[in-house]
Amino acid sequence: MRKHWLLRLTAVLLGLTLIATACGDDGDTVELTQDGGVLAKVVDAGTLECGGNDTLPGFGIVDADSGAFSGFDIDFCRVVAAAVLGDADAINVTPLVAAQRFPTLQSGEIDVLIRNTTWTASRDGNEQATFLHTTFYDGQGFMARADGGIATLDDVADASICVLQGTTTLLNLNAVMGDLGIPFTAVEFESNDELNPAFQAGQCEVWTSDASQLASFAANMDIDTVILPEIISKEPLGPVVADGDTEWAQVVNWATMATVQAWEFGITSDNLDTFTDSEDSGIRRFLGLPIEDDDGNEAVAEVGLGLPTDFAWNIIEQVGNYEEIFNRNLGPIGLTLDGSPNDLWTNGGLQYVPPFR
Amino acid sequence: MNRRTVNTWGQTLGLAAVVMTVIILMGTFNVVTMALALLVAAVVFFVLRAALDLTGRDRSDRPPAYRDVKVIALGAQIFAVAALHTFLAYLWQNFKDRTDDIGLNLSFDFLDQPGGITIADNPLSANDQVNEAIRAGFENTIRIIILGIPLALVVGTLVGIARLSSNWLLQKIATLYVEAFRNIPVLVVILIAWSVYLNALPPANEGSRKPLGGWFIFNNSRFSFPSIKGLDNWEAYRGLMLVALLIAIGVWIWRTYVFNETGTPHRRTLWSIGTFVGIGAVLFVAFGGPFEVSKPFVDESGRIYTDGLRMQMPFAAIFTGLVVYTATHISEIVRGSILAVHKGQDEAANALALSGIQRYRFVILPQALRIAFPPLINQFLNFTKNSSLAIAIGFAEVTAVINNLFGQSQPAPQLILILMLSYLVLSLILSVIGNLINRRLQLVGR
Repeated sequence: MRKHWLLRLTAVLLGLTLIATACGDDGDTVELTQDGGVLAKVVDAGTLECGGNDTLPGFGIVDADSGAFSGFDIDFCRVVAAAVLGDADAINVTPLVAAQRFPTLQSGEIDVLIRNTTWTASRDGNEQATFLHTTFYDGQGFMARADGGIATLDDVADASICVLQGTTTLLNLNAVMGDLGIPFTAVEFESNDELNPAFQAGQCEVWTSDASQLASFAANMDIDTVILPEIISKEPLGPVVADGDTEWAQVVNWATMATVQAWEFGITSDNLDTFTDSEDSGIRRFLGLPIEDDDGNEAVAEVGLGLPTDFAWNIIEQVGNYEEIFNRNLGPIGLTLDGSPNDLWTNGGLQYVPPFR
Repeated sequence: MNRRTVNTWGQTLGLAAVVMTVIILMGTFNVVTMALALLVAAVVFFVLRAALDLTGRDRSDRPPAYRDVKVIALGAQIFAVAALHTFLAYLWQNFKDRTDDIGLNLSFDFLDQPGGITIADNPLSANDQVNEAIRAGFENTIRIIILGIPLALVVGTLVGIARLSSNWLLQKIATLYVEAFRNIPVLVVILIAWSVYLNALPPANEGSRKPLGGWFIFNNSRFSFPSIKGLDNWEAYRGLMLVALLIAIGVWIWRTYVFNETGTPHRRTLWSIGTFVGIGAVLFVAFGGPFEVSKPFVDESGRIYTDGLRMQMPFAAIFTGLVVYTATHISEIVRGSILAVHKGQDEAANALALSGIQRYRFVILPQALRIAFPPLINQFLNFTKNSSLAIAIGFAEVTAVINNLFGQSQPAPQLILILMLSYLVLSLILSVIGNLINRRLQLVGR
């Protein structure tokens, strides 16, 4: 008899659960559409969920001792957090392998993806992703051992080439080598943790990836390497958000671009305080400082992005301008701004942002 | 038509009508429509019952419908179906809402698009379609399974027997092996095999290891083995050798028959192999050498390979890792099954003066196999699924290929569905084969 009672109780509970689930139907659907958008969600949560890399020195890497993330891309997560939340450290970085990036972004698990991700048409189209201001202009290159007798792309014929799965790198490699008629064997790894030792042990003679990544790994390698002269692609890397939330896309975009604008104005984290007395109305507007009109009334310019008026100030104070971010992270792996496409437009580079008016 | 038939037909019809109604009405699934559906279902059911009652049955001995056990039981079944349907429909609707929200494309048209990927030592080109790329990956998975499972079974069985050996050294070595590898995650075992091959062998461009006079070539990109290479008359020779195989099987059956009739030792293995090799040798001479054993060759750069059979190093690593790992589990199953055979069997075999090998071959193993087979099927399935770990070390089996594809902007939900179906199909085929063999093995009760 006792068993009977238990069974019945279970059945009733199960039935109630089912009915409750059915009732919850309407409510859940509303929640999924997220009336407030990602911006409201992030402000509400108090943390920015950021998708990043954890195995790429210079761009995104986990510190072996403290477990903290650092790097160029991670700093842009901090830029967005500083702008939106006023606290650059309010980020939670989810390390992702290449193939996980877009499904994770689509599912809404992360608010922004900043993981050396190349802007391409098919990603814009097929992945429901919106690409924002390019933070790093890269190109795909090749690296070989210095003693291996490979000096140009022609020497690569029939060699094994190590490459990461699920990257545009692999797509370019296949397309370009196919067009040039150079046969090769692709050895495809899921992560750099296995690719790096495979290259160093000579399983593959050549490693192809974005030139910046090759430089970053070469700087941390015991063997001597040579970077081939050929650059076979354009790889604009930058933050990515999910389609369908223009407000959030604009917020991330302007937060990112503020670092370049600060660089153009010559504002750094060190000299930021000296600008409180600046006479330049453009700088005052940018930093959210009050502007006095002819009648002596003070007002703070409101750009209406949904960001605090002092967001640029917070970014520069807590993270720094583009040049500082670049030199801090990519200087140690041997990359320089001078003469590279990542230099400011006034110096002949490609970093050019719309005016902050 | 007797009473019982009417009753059964009525219930079946009623149930069908009710379920249909419920499912149609459930198109909008919420509590109100669900209640409505149940109400409609009940009405339909009672009307149907009433209609059937008009066929002239006397129902005065039955309780009213709401107290009729059969009606209540049927109602409960209907409710269960409706509830389950509501739940699944809710999940599906949730999924649809979400995918519509983010504008995900759920069609399978992408299968005809160019895949953009290549696979080492495979003719697949970057312009080939997505479905061809997936197929190539699937074939690589099957390669691991077909080569790996039989070897794991052989190694596992030998180690299982060794663990029961009275030879102290052999037993301890077997125990050490099993306890060491059984308790390490399989991914780690695969990575160990991979890094051993990676670091112990020279890179291809710095010269390879060539043991046994160059018949084998090892470097940390590829392993090469001798193979058979057909020359003139090869096609005809191969056809005739198939006939020779049939003859050899005939000889096997004949020797078995002779043994059963007269009791003379059959020696059927020896006989049939002898027949096959004999015919092969005669034909070889007659055809003027239709094949030769081809010696693998690699040029100095380590890039150009000709002749022989080639295996990529990552394939060797996943293969070694999986076999080493799975064999430990198989050996435990084999050991347990041998111990489960009653010891009287062994003693009886001993009393008949059978040698140690004969005791295992003819008495213990056939009985142990019967016990071991069902859990062995599980290990085969695990082997199949674990092959997906090749993704870590750069072997392009189906998981790696699909992982690669959805990095190339091909839609992830559909690809993951295809991936799941791939393993499901493989596992189900293995299960079916296993279950068929298992049924043959079981004792037939008389």
